[in-house]
Amino acid sequence: MIGANKLRDGAGSAARTVIIVASCVFVLVPLAFMLGSSLMPAMDIMRMPYRWIPETWKPANYLRALAGNDGSWMYLRNILNSVIVSTTIAASTVLLSSLVGYGLAKFRFKGRDAVFMAIMGTMMIPFETVMIPLYLIVVKAGMQNTYAGLIVPFLMNAFGVFIMRQYLITFPDEMLDAARIDGCSEPRIFWDIVFRNSGPAAATLAVLSFRQQWDNLLWPLLVAQEEKMKTIPAYIVKFTAEKHADEGAMMAVAVIASLPVFIMFFSLSKYFLGGSAVYQAGKE
Amino acid sequence: MKPRESAGGLERNRARWGWAFVAPGLVFFSIFSFYPMLNAIWTSFFNKRLLSLKAPKFIGLQNYQRVLMSEDFWNSARATATFTVGVFVPLFFLSLLFATLITSMKRGKRLAQAALYSPAVLSSVVAALIWLLMLDPRGLANQFVNWVGSTPGIDHRWLSDGWMVQVSTMIVYVWKYLGYFTILFITGIGKIPDSVNEAALMDGAGPFRRFFSITLPLLRPTTVLVSVMILIQCMKTFSTQYLFTQSGAPLAPVNVITLNIYNTAMRDLNIGKASVMSTLLFLLMLGLTWIQLRVSKKDEAEL
Repeated sequence: MIGANKLRDGAGSAARTVIIVASCVFVLVPLAFMLGSSLMPAMDIMRMPYRWIPETWKPANYLRALAGNDGSWMYLRNILNSVIVSTTIAASTVLLSSLVGYGLAKFRFKGRDAVFMAIMGTMMIPFETVMIPLYLIVVKAGMQNTYAGLIVPFLMNAFGVFIMRQYLITFPDEMLDAARIDGCSEPRIFWDIVFRNSGPAAATLAVLSFRQQWDNLLWPLLVAQEEKMKTIPAYIVKFTAEKHADEGAMMAVAVIASLPVFIMFFSLSKYFLGGSAVYQAGKE
Repeated sequence: MKPRESAGGLERNRARWGWAFVAPGLVFFSIFSFYPMLNAIWTSFFNKRLLSLKAPKFIGLQNYQRVLMSEDFWNSARATATFTVGVFVPLFFLSLLFATLITSMKRGKRLAQAALYSPAVLSSVVAALIWLLMLDPRGLANQFVNWVGSTPGIDHRWLSDGWMVQVSTMIVYVWKYLGYFTILFITGIGKIPDSVNEAALMDGAGPFRRFFSITLPLLRPTTVLVSVMILIQCMKTFSTQYLFTQSGAPLAPVNVITLNIYNTAMRDLNIGKASVMSTLLFLLMLGLTWIQLRVSKKDEAEL
């Protein structure tokens, strides 16, 4: 009886391993395709049968990717834009969310719960619904084609407030009270004690906000119509749709766009694999 | 102990600081969430056009009437619904399957998770771009399908046929989000106490029995969360469809609601009509979130 069970379990676990390995390979194939093709001449990418390892190496694809089809090197500028926009938003989201989250977690005042509910309620508003009014605000403020226009609507978000509030609720009150008795002012307490000690939550929030903006296509399409103000996703769409775009260069563009987020995520993988932070990570 | 009278003053002082800390949030969300939301609803009753100098005129429900009578809108509703169903079914069941398999693995759990998760790290545009090349008539997808089905030389028209282009967008999405939802399920399964499973094992329940009688019922909060998240994500899909159509795929089959809103506002400059679709999208999402809240409340009550 036990022997039969063991045998069945053994067969089951072998089948399981095969399924998992095969699926992982399947999922990774497009990534291998991206990497391999980024180093091939366009002709080889569309060859039948496809060769996974380049026969003729063509690292010049990367040069073409950066220089663009018209040789304007606009991609470099657009990468810089993405870095500026995503970094600023990540920093401001962490700072403002912990400010508001701290207020909601550690102070008692009339209407606090209403404020919290109102902020949480904004999570239900899809960005697609408010994007046109937001666009009109930005136009009125004269912030089209500026960093301010790309950044300001995303300075903070309800998810960030939620994360920081949940984290700061567990912050020891004794530490805050001790600081108050020592005559520390409230802003100082926030800055020196609370903010400096919110490391793990702040780091997670920063990475998630960065990634979300790195991925953002819709908003930059609306506000950044000038080439030099575009961000990476908009550049990719433009580069791909151009005539005579070289497939190898397309993949090089894709690899360059993906490297920063890949490095970031896998160096911090302990936070994202099996952690609750992942709840937001795939949000478009 | 602090004296009573100054405690009252202290309390008031503290409350003031509380407001001070919360104030930036109130200002920000009022300007960038609440105002635009109300503005979208308000605008949906006007014949407002982008870049027009004429003052928008109040036209009541005419925009709604126009949108609800237009074939274009219903085509978008169909495209979004097809996409949502076509993604939901495989994505939900595959991620549940992989989560179950991975949790029962003894070694290599993290590796498998990392591998499945890696596409989720990519930008949506990059994901769509990789598939755009693989789905090329001479690309990998045709080669693979023809090799499996031993039908050499057939072009499956992944990006040009009305049906196939929809399937293609679904493939991109399922591929990209499989690992993400698998991890959500793994987290959920991890919350089920081991003792329950061990007890069932002692009673001689096989793996299938354990899955259907224990894991699945106890996993309900996660299944609800995952279902709603997939639905909401699918209804907001934009990047894949945008890139595909910009690169020459036919628009009508994949003209999902967000793409339609974008085109109506930015190409046709018809803000009133776009606002109607925005408002309808919001109501749909509100309904979904409400269902999720109700179900999760009920689960809490039952526990």
